[in-house]
This record gives sequence, C-alpha cells and structure tokens, in this order.
Amino acid sequence: MNRKTSLRSAMALLVVASLTLVGIQPAQAAKTQVTIWSYGNVIEPWGEQEYERLHPNIDLKIKKNSMDAHHQSLITAFKANTTPDIAAIEVSYSGFFRSYPKYFTNLSGLVNENDYLDWRWDQGVGKDGKVIGIPTDVGGLQVAYRKDLFKAHGLPTDREAVGKLWPTWQAFINTGKTYVSKLSTAEKTSCKVKKVCYGFIDNAGTMYPAILNQGTKKYYETNGTLIYNTNANVKTAFTTTATAMNSGISTRINQFTSDWNAGMMKGVFATVLAPAWMLDYIKQQAKSTSGKWDVADLPGGGGNLGGSQLSIPTAAKHPQEAKDFIKWYLSPAIQLEIFKRYGLFPSASSLYSNPALTGYKDKFFSNAPIGQIYVTGARQLRPIFEGKNQRAIDNYFGQALAKVAVGKMTASAAWSDAITQIQKNIRD
Amino acid sequence: MSNSANSLAAPKKRKPTNVFKSEDPHKSEKPKRPKRSERRKATENGIKALNPNWGYAFVAPFFVMFLIFGLAPVIYSIWIAFYNWDPLGDEQQFYGLTNFTDLIVDENFWIALRNTFSIWFFSTIPQMIMAIGLASILRNPRLKGATFWRTILLVPNITSVLAIAIVFGQLFGRDFGLVNLALTYLGMPAHIDWIAEPLPSHIAIATMITWRWLGYNALIFLAAMLAIPSYLYESADLDGASKWQQFRYITLPQLRNTITFVLIVGTIGGLQVFAEPLTLGGNMSGGDSRQFSTLTLFLYEQAFQNNRWGYAAAIGIFITIIVIIISAINFAITRRISSEDNDK
Repeated sequence: MNRKTSLRSAMALLVVASLTLVGIQPAQAAKTQVTIWSYGNVIEPWGEQEYERLHPNIDLKIKKNSMDAHHQSLITAFKANTTPDIAAIEVSYSGFFRSYPKYFTNLSGLVNENDYLDWRWDQGVGKDGKVIGIPTDVGGLQVAYRKDLFKAHGLPTDREAVGKLWPTWQAFINTGKTYVSKLSTAEKTSCKVKKVCYGFIDNAGTMYPAILNQGTKKYYETNGTLIYNTNANVKTAFTTTATAMNSGISTRINQFTSDWNAGMMKGVFATVLAPAWMLDYIKQQAKSTSGKWDVADLPGGGGNLGGSQLSIPTAAKHPQEAKDFIKWYLSPAIQLEIFKRYGLFPSASSLYSNPALTGYKDKFFSNAPIGQIYVTGARQLRPIFEGKNQRAIDNYFGQALAKVAVGKMTASAAWSDAITQIQKNIRD
Repeated sequence: MSNSANSLAAPKKRKPTNVFKSEDPHKSEKPKRPKRSERRKATENGIKALNPNWGYAFVAPFFVMFLIFGLAPVIYSIWIAFYNWDPLGDEQQFYGLTNFTDLIVDENFWIALRNTFSIWFFSTIPQMIMAIGLASILRNPRLKGATFWRTILLVPNITSVLAIAIVFGQLFGRDFGLVNLALTYLGMPAHIDWIAEPLPSHIAIATMITWRWLGYNALIFLAAMLAIPSYLYESADLDGASKWQQFRYITLPQLRNTITFVLIVGTIGGLQVFAEPLTLGGNMSGGDSRQFSTLTLFLYEQAFQNNRWGYAAAIGIFITIIVIIISAINFAITRRISSEDNDK
C-alpha cells in the first residue's frame, strides 16, 4: 500500500513538473511575438532570420499550412477573432477575401504603390477600395525543359530556338508529338508493361491555368457576375488542354507528388510549365540533374501562375509591428534579395530594369538569364480579374480535365460535366 | 471486512441495510467522535452514506463541457442548415428546406455515400478476420516474447494519420510505388493506378485503415479469447476435437459479443473516414472523379471549398440520420444475439 502511494505521488509530481515546464516561457518572453500564418514559401527563412537580427525585440512566429487548408483556417479565424498578425493570401483566394474588406486593416500609404505591378496591386484592393494586401511575388510562368532529353529526341536545345518551336499552344502540342514519336520502343511500351510512362510534359493539366491566365477575364466579370460558361477564354483553355491530354504527350503525373519528384530525376518528362517560384523546388528535388535544365518562353507569350499578398487582419494583436515587417519584407530591395536566394519573382516592378534582376543567371538552368526571361514574361502580362469563388471553380474544371486525361470522358462531355458541377455548387 | 465500519457509522438501533436512504449520517455521527484509528474507516463509509444528489455534481463537468462544445454547435449547425449561410457575410439568406431538397438530388452526395460504405467494407471485414487470426497466434502459450508482440501491435495505432497517409500514398504511387513494383515481381499486370480508379483507391484507403487498427482490434480479440474458460478447450481435447474445430465451435461463438463490439466501433470510425482520402487525393473532392470522396470529406468540401456552410450543415444532419439508422440496426442485432444466448 505504502509503496503504491509513494509511486502515485511520484507520478503526480512528474505530471505537475512537466506541466510547469510546458507552461514556463523562456526568457525571450520580453520580445514581441508577431504571428504570421503562411503556406509554401511566402516567407522565406532568410527574410525571417534577417528581420529578427535587425529587430532583436521582435520574434516572428510563422505557422505554415498547406495552401487550401491555410485559407480555410483563416476563414474560421476571422469568424472567431483568432487571426494572426499577418496573413498570407494566395492570388486565387484574393477574390474571396476582397469581398470581405471589413476583416482587414487598411494598408494604404504603407508602401509606395508605384513600386509595384499595377494589376498585382489591384488584387490586394478590397471591393470598397480599401487596400487589404500588399503583393509579395508574381508567379511569372515559363517553360523549364531538359536540354539533354530534347537533344536525344531530335529537338533543338538552344533556348531561343526552343522558344520558336512553340509560338502557340497548338505548336507546343505538336512539338510534344514529335518528341513522343521519337521515344524508344522500350520507353513507349514501358507504360503498359513496366511502371513508368514517358512523355513530353509532366502533366498537360497544368496548361489549363497557363492558357486561362493569358486572357483578361476568367470566371467573373469585374462586377462579380459569373461568366465561366460564356467566356470564350475559359472554353479555349479547356479545349486546348483537353487536346493536349488526348495527344499522348503527357505523363499524367500530378505535380508535387513523390512520382513527380522521381520523374524529374529520372527524366520521365522533358518539360514543366514552371512559375518562378517553382524553379527553387526543381533545384532542391532534382539536384543530380543540375545543368541539364534550361528555361524557354511560354507558348502564347507571357504567363502567370500564383503569387501572394500579405495582409493584416483587423483582429491582429500587434498591427504596428506587422506593418513594419510587411513594409520591410516587401520593399523592392528585400524582394530582390529573396529573388536571388529563392527565385521568388518580385512584384515590385520598379526592379524590372535593375541589372541585378535582369542579369540574374543560374547554373542549374544552364546559366539561362532567368531574370531577363521572367521580366519579359511579366511585362507581357495583362491584368486579370480574380473572382470570389475562383479557387473552387478552378478545382471543378481541373477535375473535369483529369477525367479527360485518364480517358474517362471526351472533352465535350467533360466540359458540360464541369459546367453542371459548378452550376450546382457555386452560388456567387 | 466492513462489519466493524458498518456498526460504527450506523449505530446499533438502526438497520445497517439501506445506507443510501439514511436521513443524515453526519448528524447522527456528530455527538460521539470516533477514535482516530477508527475515523478513517468511518469516512470510507461516509461516502457511501452521502446524499445521492452529489452524483450529479460529480458528472456535471462533463455535461457542462458537452453542452458548450457538443450540443451548442449541433444546435447551431441545425440552425444554419436552413440558410444560405455565408461564412464571413453579415446577412444570411433564409433558405427553408432548399438545402435538404438539393442534397437528396445531389449525385455527389450519393457517390460519397457509396464510397464511404465501400471503404468501410474493405477496411472492416478483412481486418476483423485478420485480427482474429492474429489474436489466435498471440494466444498460443508457446509464443516467445508475447508481451513484445502485443506491444508492437499497438505501434501503428499511435502513428499520426497524416504520416500514414503520406507513406501509403507513396507506396501506392502509380509509377514508382512499391506496391506496383511488388505486383510486377509477382507477375501480375502491374500498372494499377491506385489513386485514379474507384475500387483500387478504396482498397488503398482501406489498407491504411486496416494497418492502423488491426493491432488494436487484435488485442481486443485477444483479451476476449483469454477470458474463454480453458476447461472448454480441455474437454474438447478429450473429445478429440481438432484445433480448427475448437476454433470454430468454441472460440468463435464465445467471441460473438466482441465481434459485434468491434463491428460497431469500426462502423462508427468508417463513417468518419476523412484524413486518409484527403491526404491521398490532395484535394477536397476525394480524387478527380470523386472516386474516394467520403461523407465527411464531402461535407468539408462544401463548407470550406465552396463556402456553402448551410449546405454542409444539411450534409451533417444527413450523416447523423445515417448513423442513427445504423446504430438502430446494430442495436437490433446485438439484442438478438443476447437473446439467443439466453435461449440456451
């Protein structure tokens, strides 16, 4: 009995002790904690460390989540007043949050508006004209391709010549067909008998947003009316993508999966439609292919995929510290630093003539003038309006296209399937 | 052992039988203070003699928490099911029964229902058979290191669902997945797209669930098997019954209640399958053709992708109704089993 009691009290002590340990804050409690909710690589580690070094009294608490989950928890946080000091918002969700400007602190006057790309700036302006977000990066889109594979399959390797292969998307598909026709017999049949499907592009589905973003409107009129079923731009993007899917040039590997990482290493596909922010990912994942990659122009001239903005919710506990950080982190000088270190293409258009940006090269991509290529691409882009339920509509079109990709549906059947789904599920 | 205590708490005049109904034990005890050595026993008995209403106070914390975190959200979600509820908007539009009528004709809902039951089937039935098999092995007294094996069985259960889903997602990869690789070596037509096809994807998800819960259920079966009196087996041995006959005619019938229990718990879990399909598909629709969209995932998709909270609430109510129906069926089966037992 006695031994049992002493054992129990010892355990109780242990529990109490561990609870206290958890509860005690280390000495840095004196620092102001600025909480940031983010996803992917919006806040790069260097930016965090550098800012904390410059401001010893600030402790940046960054919570990362996957892209969709991040925005969903933001919605519930707004409802429950448990928002962070700074929230990152992706372009495809910007339309949604612009519909609810009352949840955001007004940021007008925080930075010089003229430093930033016009249309990127507008994506951070609420529907009532309030500035609710400052743009971080532009997802300038180009084609990353494998020189060695191009050569092996009878295509030119020089980036100028490669860009000339595909002035249009149809030409891009035709190039893909040429590439696929030169696959070795083993590679051609490996899809059926072995476990690897070789192809020209990793996933033809990625063409859809690329083509769509080359237009000026997507699913919404600027006044918020839904036009996804009447806008010719959407239909073109859809049918062109479906054509590519049916032409056998795609490996149908989903991006950011383990199959994709492995495919990049093993040369299963030769091209990836790569936004600037993806280059760093390719570099990290396919280290052994260094020097075999190059970057060429996107078919159709200039493209965009992704990009983010930083916002301060009205319920933020440290709005002033949050403003200070945003002002610093998104200033042109720091955006340039981030570009050099991580390849996030700056939204600060005042940099676009800066030789530090235009002259930037990368050994991994065969010393391609990445800076110049993406600047040219970004300059060609026209503003595009992102509507409220943009992300959800994107998903429905994406799913319909995936059915075309696996041969379950014809392009026209998939189109009407997507329209039905959206009509049923999206109210505004 | 309690004789002395009883006589102390309730003086000789009173009957020591119904302690709960005694008017007030404290009052009668007050005048004569028992000796120190005896006091301890008296308090032990004193708890017994307390007013039974105290019981409500002891269970109150749970019910207060349940009211705040359980019942209130339930009522709130029933409320918003009648609205076109905009999560961040100021004005909500009253919808009446529209959400419910929309849901009944929504084929996505029926696909989710079908998937949920398909995944439930593939995860529960094979798992139960394997768990009983595993438990029979572990019951063998000649097994060396029994405690070690029993501990090992629980390891998958304490692994994070997310980690499991990520690892299995890689195992079931179409091009470089180990499962397809293994199938190739076995000479099977191995280019199964585990994620894109309905049935393979259900099996892949069911495998994750099975892997996670197999050991847990095996331990439950093991506990039930160890409770079967050994004389049943001894007499069966004397009668010349084979091991299989012993299993079939002694072990299985004795496990009936446990099987029902495992089935019910498995069904409840099966209706809530969420993290596995979400992580495997990478989107909220449960794969591009909704091939493994489950009920909870469908609810999540409507609430957080399409921002239709009212509709999502209606889905929640439907899930509740389904759970009630299944529980009723389970209840009926359990009652029948217990009455069969009584008949004997």
